[in-house]
Amino acid sequence: MTASRRNWNLIAGLAIVLSFAAFCFLIFSGLRGGWNWQGPWEARELLFKGWKTTLWISLSALVGSLLVGLLLMLGQRSPLVVVRWTCRLFLEFVRETPLVVQLLVGYFLIFAPLLSRPLDNIGWDEKLIIGIILLSLFEGAYLGEIFRGGVESIPRTQWESARAVGFNRVQVYRYVIFPQALRRVLPAVAGQFVSLIKDSSLLSVIGAPEFFYQSRVYVSKSYAGLEAYIPLALGYLILTAPIAILSHRLERRFRDET
Amino acid sequence: MRLEITGLTKRYGKQAALNDLNLTIHEGGVLVLIGPSGGGKSTLLRVIGGLETPDSGTVTLHGERLPVTESGLLAYRRANGFLFQQFNLFPHLDALRNLTLPLETVHGQTPEQAKATAEEALERFGLLAHAHKRPAELSGGQQQRVGIARAVASKPRVLFLDEPTSALDPEMTAEVLELVQELAEGGQRIVLSTHEMGFARAVADQVAFLAEGKVIESGPPREWFENPASEHARRFLSKVLRYL
Ligand SMILES: Nc1ncnc2c1ncn2[C@@H]1O[C@H](COP(=O)(O)OP(=O)(O)OP(=O)(O)O)[C@@H](O)[C@H]1O
Ligand SMILES: [Mg+2]
Repeated sequence: MTASRRNWNLIAGLAIVLSFAAFCFLIFSGLRGGWNWQGPWEARELLFKGWKTTLWISLSALVGSLLVGLLLMLGQRSPLVVVRWTCRLFLEFVRETPLVVQLLVGYFLIFAPLLSRPLDNIGWDEKLIIGIILLSLFEGAYLGEIFRGGVESIPRTQWESARAVGFNRVQVYRYVIFPQALRRVLPAVAGQFVSLIKDSSLLSVIGAPEFFYQSRVYVSKSYAGLEAYIPLALGYLILTAPIAILSHRLERRFRDET
Repeated sequence: MRLEITGLTKRYGKQAALNDLNLTIHEGGVLVLIGPSGGGKSTLLRVIGGLETPDSGTVTLHGERLPVTESGLLAYRRANGFLFQQFNLFPHLDALRNLTLPLETVHGQTPEQAKATAEEALERFGLLAHAHKRPAELSGGQQQRVGIARAVASKPRVLFLDEPTSALDPEMTAEVLELVQELAEGGQRIVLSTHEMGFARAVADQVAFLAEGKVIESGPPREWFENPASEHARRFLSKVLRYL
């Protein structure tokens, strides 16, 4: 790096830090009554419970969306036209309507009337379960497209060689196509998982007691200000950051391998 | 090798890649397909290799009709070997794993057996030192040789090679051709297509000249190269042999 480039870096860095500090000062000086960490601290159990619920929702929907995505990808490669079309239609519908609308319609109109009673009977939280199902369907539609792109990006010669060594249909996917496609789609899948975690906050619209919902409950009870939203941001960051980091790691490892 | 093909036709859209093709071979371990580009060599190999189903016609290899069901074709492919021009290996696996994976999952060998079989095959072709390299770390010639090692590791009845050297430079071509010659001398039955006329002549027991989706003529290489019967083959030979 040349000396003048270094100087400019320093100046730009200072300017950024200063304007950020000024920005924060403006915001915080506008707060009435200053900081009050007492409130969030007292509500920590409620907030933590919400955070754990979000973790649980995310993990379940992660598995669920993988299954949905896989099925949609395979469905779109089915030899049967009807299956291909149905998958395509479902996929387009899910991707072209807002998640909030899907959650409201899916919960109140479709799943709650069907599943509430039986789920209650076995003692499961119907809002959580239905929320997980709806979230899995939504994120799965995106994963389905990502997977399809990955599988279709594998060159024809690989399919042919796999057939030539005597692999059957399932083995072709399992040993040749998936391992190679996985390396290609990994960044996109990780990005989708991060979206999934963030999107799970929308489950609050059907009253699922997750992190965002509990924070809102706390804020409305205590009239708390900004303090309540800072743990919220941090709580989501704790969930999403490891995925981002892991994905970068794996990406680098796969790149070194080939 | 006993091979009887009658009325074989394969169309891609309107284009007939194989057009009522007939060929009968009674003897000889190595059949070489020769002919102009687009003549149908690859298509014929893919059909008799069990990778493609013809629109009509029959193929009988050693008295057995080529299967038509997908499961029959799968078993057929498993009993034979196939090698394409290039990119045969699975790039995410090292050379050894490229050999052991089909041995384990397709041919029912235990991991220990598969490793022994694979190492023996690599050793035989002087490739053992490269066992733990990925395809990207091998030269084109080495990749093709590993590909051949993989194809013969499971002791195929017939080995099908579609222009195994056309993507290689002359030096690598020589190393691959030597290997094929060695296999042929060891009794491996081979059907291959090639543009290497010198090699074709040396290795073939039978040659078939294909053009426009038909076998124009076939016979032992000596006679055919010296004195082709058809005008078409004569023109082809005079063109390709001009610079030899
Ligand atoms: N998958 C395909 N789709 C459409 N047309 C095809 C396909 N495969 C082959 N053909 C056509 O069939 C004809 C025969 O092709 P083929 O590849 O068998 O010839 P070839 O003798 O192997 O030629 P080359 O020496 O160039 O490899 C060609 O006209 C080709 O364009
Ligand atoms: Mg060809």
